[in-house]
Amino acid sequence: MSALDWIVIAAGIAAIGWVNWYFFVAPRRVAPARKEKP
Amino acid sequence: MSDAAVAISAAPDERTIRIPVTGMTCAACQARVQRTLQKQPGVADAGVNLMMQNATVRYAPSAITPEQLVQAIRDTGYGAEFAPEEQSAFDEQEARDRAQTEEYLELKRKAIASGVAGALAMFAPMLLMGIVSPRVTDVALLALTAVVMSWAGRHFYTRAWAAFRHHSADMNTLIAIGTGSAFIYSLIATLAPSFFARGGVAPDVYYEAVIVIIALILTGNAFEARAKRATSAALRALAGLQPATARLVRRGATGDEEVDVPIGDVRRDDVIVVRPGERLPTDGEVLSGESAVDEAMLTGESAPVAKRSGDRVIGGTINRTGALRYRATTLGADSVLAQIVRLMRDAQGSRAPIQNLADRISAVFVPVVVSIAVATFVVWFVGGDLFDVPAPMTRAFAAAVSVLIIACPCAMGLAVPTAVMVATGRGAEAGVLIKGGEALQRAGAVDTVVLDKTGTVTEGRPTVTDVVTSGAERSEDELLALVAGLESMSEHPLADAILRHARSRGLTLATPERFQSFTGRGAAARVSAHDVVVGNEALMRDRGIDVAPLLGDAERMAGDAKTPVYVAVDGTLAGLLAVADPIKPTSREAIASLRARGIEVVMLTGDTQRTADAVARAAGIDRVVAGVLPEGKVEEIRRLQQRGRVVAMVGDGVNDSAAIAQSDVGIAIGTGTDIAAEAADIVLMRGDLRSVVHAIALSRRTMRTMKQNLFWAFIYNVVGIPIAAGALYPAFGLAMNPVLASAAMAFSSVSVVGNSLRLRAARLA
Repeated sequence: MSALDWIVIAAGIAAIGWVNWYFFVAPRRVAPARKEKP
Repeated sequence: MSDAAVAISAAPDERTIRIPVTGMTCAACQARVQRTLQKQPGVADAGVNLMMQNATVRYAPSAITPEQLVQAIRDTGYGAEFAPEEQSAFDEQEARDRAQTEEYLELKRKAIASGVAGALAMFAPMLLMGIVSPRVTDVALLALTAVVMSWAGRHFYTRAWAAFRHHSADMNTLIAIGTGSAFIYSLIATLAPSFFARGGVAPDVYYEAVIVIIALILTGNAFEARAKRATSAALRALAGLQPATARLVRRGATGDEEVDVPIGDVRRDDVIVVRPGERLPTDGEVLSGESAVDEAMLTGESAPVAKRSGDRVIGGTINRTGALRYRATTLGADSVLAQIVRLMRDAQGSRAPIQNLADRISAVFVPVVVSIAVATFVVWFVGGDLFDVPAPMTRAFAAAVSVLIIACPCAMGLAVPTAVMVATGRGAEAGVLIKGGEALQRAGAVDTVVLDKTGTVTEGRPTVTDVVTSGAERSEDELLALVAGLESMSEHPLADAILRHARSRGLTLATPERFQSFTGRGAAARVSAHDVVVGNEALMRDRGIDVAPLLGDAERMAGDAKTPVYVAVDGTLAGLLAVADPIKPTSREAIASLRARGIEVVMLTGDTQRTADAVARAAGIDRVVAGVLPEGKVEEIRRLQQRGRVVAMVGDGVNDSAAIAQSDVGIAIGTGTDIAAEAADIVLMRGDLRSVVHAIALSRRTMRTMKQNLFWAFIYNVVGIPIAAGALYPAFGLAMNPVLASAAMAFSSVSVVGNSLRLRAARLA
């Protein structure tokens, strides 16, 4: 395998990891709707 | 607050509101909005309907306000706002219709334009080969693609971006990444071909693929929009039954005048005139005139119903034969038609529990597909290098784009709601109002139907069934005229039956003299110069009248659940009448049909065992539970449920409301005017037991359709994605082209909606 292959594999794994983090993990950190000010 | 966005039900500390939501295109969008709402503090339950484009939220007003719920939806990247204050169910339906038509026309326009551009992009380079340099062709195609993407496909990218910003992904995300990456790849190949050439990769362009993908997806969306519009055709037709004006009788200077007024100006107790062929503008009670009224559109009853003074009429039905004058009773939101439209709207917006599976998958679908697309690229790129596959970069790219494009979360999102919409519409056409997806799903699983006797299996109104004369001295009519004359002074329920029977035979009744009533036994009077005694055997014996000649007939009648009434004229036995609550003519056929479908039929009644047995025998029912009070009915249903039966209780919705509430599926058998029946899951507009068969047949058929839809939507993705990823390449050398993937994707959601539309023609008998 060439260096380019290894780069593509690493980038692919990183992309998959990021996609799953962004769509599944990060939304849980979003706070629920703001309370209205009185 | 508006009808559309207001409390639908209210437990002491809970309210339910419906909020119109815009911008949702697939099951992933719906799942995202629903999840967000469910997570809000104070929200007990939230359901989002993709087809109706609204969210129904049950919440505690002390913990969260409607405005905060709307804001929470907006925070997910979708539009939400309350409907205008005064919007009625009719207006709401009209507004949705208009929006659906506009959406369809716009999609159609864009699909045609991008289709033409796609054809140009595919054939122009071939035709211009040798005339124009390939570089010029590529630049021209680049410009054309940019125009198509930014005009026809613009909403894919704006919606995908809005979802992305809120950590959400939907169908638009897949299309945007797929076509966007193909466009950027081609852009680099056009503007900097040396970049690819340096890596030994041919600078191929995919402009025509981008345009054709957009064209095909838009075509699919346009078909889908048209089909979705068709799923609510029944609701649209119902809303369209409401006439815009009414002809009122107003007292003027020169006597009564007829004036046409807008329907909104009609007040309770106004007198309305309808001529033959006209639609009745409101509900009411007939004051004068006789006519046959066609109620088919509301009750499913094909034969016109005779109406005369005192009868109730329903707004939206058609007056057929004569002119009628009637007094308006219920108007506006309280009218039968408005109630049906509201009930249907709520039903069509409701969710069937079977949808939960689709929701769970949709929620994770898009990120998983994007991950698969990335993995596909890596595997093709690296594998192609290792196994000497020609042009691995190009193939890796095409396979990854195909995976993104072929994956279709929309089919899963449409599988259940389209079936619910079409089925509730089909039910309404047949006079069966199903209150929602859950009721529909449960009714499909019913294996035991419990029937109330009076008013359900029987007419619920005593009627004279037999007239027997003793000897040839008097005809049946003469005898009946004497008895009816006497009974005209009586207030006994049997007297009412006898009077109706005499009037229906056109008999003239004499006024009785010296009327005497003997409580629980009968009555006597002098009628037309004859001493007439009408009553039971005990009264006859007291009067020294021998009943022996007709005793056999009387016993036979009693055995058939009829009440025998002896008649003596001038001290001699003259005849015998039988009064009974007759079985509806369609009950026997309906019960046989239920049993043929493998459903156990049980009859519950407060009557004596003897009467119940006679009715059950005549109706073809095997199991009878007699002498039960309303609580006893609830207990009996609970007992059946404990034995694992799924029970549907059919009753009049008032006396049986507790039993209806206890059953798995409560069916209220209506009269066409009372559809409120809160406890019931299904309301039958006609007092005809065949409608129960229709309801169950429709539910079973709908469940089958939903399962087919879900199966095909899942299978499509389970098979389509691996093929697009190149699973067939090692064995057969087959790889999917992104254009083919887009055609398959467009086809999948259209096929699901098409399958649901087949329910419109479902045979229910």
